[in-house]
Amino acid sequence: MNRLRQFGVGFLLPLALGLAALSLLLWGLDYDPSAGLRALWSGAFGSWYALTSATLVRATPLIILGLGFALAFRGGALNIGMEGQFLAGAIAATWVGVRVGAWHPLLAVPAVWAAGILAGALWVLVPVLLKLRLGVLEVITTLLLNFVAEAVVSYMVQGPLQEVSRVYPQSDPLALAAQLPLLGGTRLHLGFAVGLVLAGVGALIFARSVWGFKLKAVGAGPRAAWMSGRIPSARLLAGALLISGAIAGLGGAIEVGGVTHALFQNLSPGYGFTAIAVALLARGDPIGIVGTGLLFGALEAGASAMQRDAGIPSVAVSIVQATVIIVILLGDVAARRRRTLTVAPEVIEVE
Amino acid sequence: MGALLVFLGCGASPGGPDGSFRVALVTPGSIADASWNAGAYQGLLLIRDSLRAQVSQVEARTPSDQEEALRTYAAQGYALVFAHGFEFQDAAERVAADYPETIIVITSGQRVTGNVVPLIFRLSEATYLAGIVAGSLTKTNKIGYVGGIELPPVRMAYEAWSQGAKSVNPQVESRGTYLNNFDDAVAGREAALAMIRLGVDMLHHNADAAGLGVFQAAKEHRGVYVFGSNADQSDVAPEQVLGSAVIDLPGAFLAVSQEVLEGRFIPRVESFGLESGVIKYVANPALASRVPADVMALVQEAETAIISGALQVADRETGRVIPGKR
Repeated sequence: MNRLRQFGVGFLLPLALGLAALSLLLWGLDYDPSAGLRALWSGAFGSWYALTSATLVRATPLIILGLGFALAFRGGALNIGMEGQFLAGAIAATWVGVRVGAWHPLLAVPAVWAAGILAGALWVLVPVLLKLRLGVLEVITTLLLNFVAEAVVSYMVQGPLQEVSRVYPQSDPLALAAQLPLLGGTRLHLGFAVGLVLAGVGALIFARSVWGFKLKAVGAGPRAAWMSGRIPSARLLAGALLISGAIAGLGGAIEVGGVTHALFQNLSPGYGFTAIAVALLARGDPIGIVGTGLLFGALEAGASAMQRDAGIPSVAVSIVQATVIIVILLGDVAARRRRTLTVAPEVIEVE
Repeated sequence: MGALLVFLGCGASPGGPDGSFRVALVTPGSIADASWNAGAYQGLLLIRDSLRAQVSQVEARTPSDQEEALRTYAAQGYALVFAHGFEFQDAAERVAADYPETIIVITSGQRVTGNVVPLIFRLSEATYLAGIVAGSLTKTNKIGYVGGIELPPVRMAYEAWSQGAKSVNPQVESRGTYLNNFDDAVAGREAALAMIRLGVDMLHHNADAAGLGVFQAAKEHRGVYVFGSNADQSDVAPEQVLGSAVIDLPGAFLAVSQEVLEGRFIPRVESFGLESGVIKYVANPALASRVPADVMALVQEAETAIISGALQVADRETGRVIPGKR
C-alpha cells in the first residue's frame, strides 16, 4: 500500500502536472491541446509499432545508462561522463563489429559487447585514477572526457573507421553476424532485454549482496562506513565507477549493434545526460529506472508524433520532462524539511 | 520563442478538399535556421498550397530517429518523403526496401536505389561566385569558412569558395573549420570569433542553425562581412551580409512533387546548378554600394562561363567539385 502511494505521489502526480503544463502551453500558443495529447499518446503507445519501434527503442539506452549512473550514485560518486563512455563503447564495438563477418553470431555479438564494455571502463579509468591518487573530483574529469570522446568519434568516422568509399563521415555497417536480432516487423532489438536483465541484476545487488550493501553504506556516509564496518570507501567507489563506465560502454555497443548498425558522428542526442535525470527520478532504484526510462522514451517518441501529426514542435515536450523533474525535486526538499524538523534534536555531532 | 512556435505550427494543417496526395519532410535540424531546413520547410508549404497536398514535417537529428521518421511516414502511406540531407542515404535505402510504394527524395543524395532518388545541388557553383567577391574585397587577404558536419556537400561548398577567392586574388589565405554539428550556434560564434582574431574579414558558413552564430560574431566586429548559405540570408544581418549562395529549395521540391503527383516521375539523378536557376548567388541590395562594379563584373563573367560550361567548378553528374587551380 505504501509503495502504491509512493508510486502515485512520486510518479503519477508529477507526470500529470507535466502534462497539464504542456496543455497550458499549447493552449496559450493557439494549438489544440487535445489533438497534441492524442498525438503524444498514439506516438508512444498508440500501436504495437509505436510501442516497440519508437518508445522501447528510445528507452533502451536511457535504461542502460540510467542503471550505470545509479550504480555509482548509490555509492556517492557522480559519473557525468556516460555520454563519453557510451561513445567510447560505440567506437570499440564498431571496430570489432566490422571485422567479425566470418564469425557465428553467438560469438560475434558477445565480442562486440565485450569491446564496448572494455572501452567504457577504460574511458572512466583515468578519472578513477585521478580521484584515487590526487583527489580530483570525478564530476569534472568524467564530464570533460565527454568532449574528448566526441572528438574521437569525429576523427574515427573520417579516419580509421571511415566507410570504404571514403565519402560519408560514418563507418562501414557492422557485419550481419554482429547486428542484434530484431523482434519481427519492428525495430526493437535484443538490447532492450539486456536492459531489463541488468535492472534485475542491479536490484539483486542492492537488495541481497554484501558488495551492494557496502556500497550503499559508503554512499550514506563514507566515514561512518569506515568507522563502523571498516569499509574502504575509495576502493569500493573506484570499482563502482569502473562498472558504471562499463555499463555505459555496453550501452554504446548495443546502440550501434541494434539500431544504427554503424558509427555516426551524431550517434547520441545526449542519452548520457538524459539518463542522469532518468536515474535520479527513480532515486537510483534499478526497477524504478526501467519505469522512468520508459517514461522518457515514451515522451520523446510521442514528441515526434506530435510534430508529425499535429504540427506541434517536438521541443514542446521538454516542458513535461522539466515539470516532472522540478515537481519531484520540490517534493524531496519538502520531505527533507519535514524530516529535519522532527529528527533534528537527535542529531549528535561526532568528532 | 512563442512567435517561433506559432510559425512552426502552421505546417500540418490538412490540404485542400482533396488531401489524398501526402508529402512529408524529415529535416536533420530545426526549421528555424533561416537556411537549409527553413528553405525545405518553405518548399513543403509551397507543395501544400500549390498542389493541395496534405503535408507533415518532423525533425530527426540522430541516425536512429531519422530511420524511425522515414519508416513511420512510409508505413502511413505517404506518396513522397523528402529526406533532407546527405546523411539520410543509408536509412532511406533500408526503409525503401520495405516500402517500395513511397518515393524518398534525398536532397544532396548521391545515388538512385529503387525509389530512393537524389537531388544533387551544385551549391559550389554559387559559393565559387561568393568566393570571388570575398577574394576581391578582403583587406587582410584572409577568408574563413565554418561548416557544420563535414559532409561532402559542406566540404565541397568550402573548396569552391576558396577556389573562387583564389581565382581573383592568389594571395588569399583560406581557413575552414567544422563544428561537428548543425545546431550549436554558440560553437559557430566561437569558431567565427577565433577566425576574426586571426585576421579573417570575410566569412562564409554552411552550418544551418549553428551558422547563425557566425552572423552574430560578424555583427560584433566592424569591417567583417559574411556570406549566407542555402537561402538568401541578407535579412539575418543586413549590415554584414554581402551576398548569399542560394538553393531555391521550394522550386526544386515543387517540381519533383508535381511529377510524382501526375504519375510521370521516373527515378533518376537530378542535378541542379547555376544553369537551372535553382542555384544562384544573390547579392544583398542593402550593401550593393560596398561591392565595386568591376567585382560584380567578375562575378557575372564567371557565372556566364559556368553556365556555358567554359568554366567547370563542379562535375555536372556527381556534383563533385573539380580540384585544381583556376
